[in-house]
Amino acid sequence: MSVQSVQNRGGGYLERPAPSSLADVVAIILDKGVVIDAYVRVSLVGIELLTIDARIVIASVDTYLRFAEATNRLDLVKHGGGKPLDEFIESMTESGAGGKTKGAVEGVKSALTGGGDKDDDKDDDEGSRRRPRKTSSRHRSEQK
Amino acid sequence: MTARTFKSEESVAEDVTETGCNVYGIVPAGPGRVPEDLNGIDDMPVRVVPHDEIAAVITDIRLDRPPGRRAELVAYSRVLDTLASSGAVVPVRFGSVVRDEEAVVTDLLLPQQAWFSRLLAELDGRAQFNLSVRYVQEAALTEVVDADPTIARLRERTRGTPSNAALADRVRLGELVSQAMQDKRTADADVLAEAVLPYAAAHRIRLGSDVDQLADFILLIDNDRRDDFEQRLESLAESMHGRMRLSLVGPLAPYEFVGGD
Repeated sequence: MSVQSVQNRGGGYLERPAPSSLADVVAIILDKGVVIDAYVRVSLVGIELLTIDARIVIASVDTYLRFAEATNRLDLVKHGGGKPLDEFIESMTESGAGGKTKGAVEGVKSALTGGGDKDDDKDDDEGSRRRPRKTSSRHRSEQK
Repeated sequence: MTARTFKSEESVAEDVTETGCNVYGIVPAGPGRVPEDLNGIDDMPVRVVPHDEIAAVITDIRLDRPPGRRAELVAYSRVLDTLASSGAVVPVRFGSVVRDEEAVVTDLLLPQQAWFSRLLAELDGRAQFNLSVRYVQEAALTEVVDADPTIARLRERTRGTPSNAALADRVRLGELVSQAMQDKRTADADVLAEAVLPYAAAHRIRLGSDVDQLADFILLIDNDRRDDFEQRLESLAESMHGRMRLSLVGPLAPYEFVGGD
């Protein structure tokens, strides 16, 4: 049985996409796994190229302009937010919501487009939203 | 192994082997780990090359093949995740090709036998899950604008102007928003980590960098804690609804928990 099929156990709010877009799979596997010593390996030209392509990071001014644009698109309506996240978690714990099953308000709709994208958002072009996360993110790691 | 050639000429005299072994991962040796019909890259049947108590999982692969594409990445992860669903596996990095079966044993398995065995023992009964947390962009940005008068002012000034006007203000606005989002991510990721990490035997956390990305949590979860973990995430996702979206992928092979980086 393939473990990649969409699983929607008990769900509703937690999305369980099957990683199917190239960007998803790249984010999961690229540069991961045991490295075999170079003298043992036979190199495949194409695969090296693909690794390099996936690492392209855009310049920071472009990044800032993207943030600015997103901010300017806002219609300033109040969202239920404003409360710090830890209060959210506390109030949830107090109300004993753990494990409760709700209807699938936001089901797994995005298996084909690759996961966590908003279905109520405008259709951004795939490249701008699904960049491999490893490229420009900070790293903390801890092994047992 | 039989080094198959894809040119059907008999005059391939050079010692150029035209196929190699694409290595997917290392598993404990023994029957039943590889489903009969499991195929890898280029639909080649998956085979096992054993050495003592460990074995490499491979397919033959052409060495003159065109560049790697989606189908190959997907095939690679399908093989590994299938292996992971039936026991411990140490993933070997995508694109690792070794000359032939003999080299798999003498150059790969033999020299690192003890290390692979130890790693397999550590990973036994565990699987990787990738939890991706994203902001509902409007909600997060609204909080950022509300919290900082400078941002609100710059937003008013640049809003509705053509995108090539007021460039300095736009860059400044984006910079401030970007910084504010970074602070928000850091704080929120800490809180989420507190809720999630107790379930994990090992973890990695990557803060996001794009507008709506909060963080990715790469988690190694014991099989017997999996139900509790998933229930916890479901209730987290419910309580964050409207502010954040939680997306869980897995069980996956433990790509990120094999010592490399």
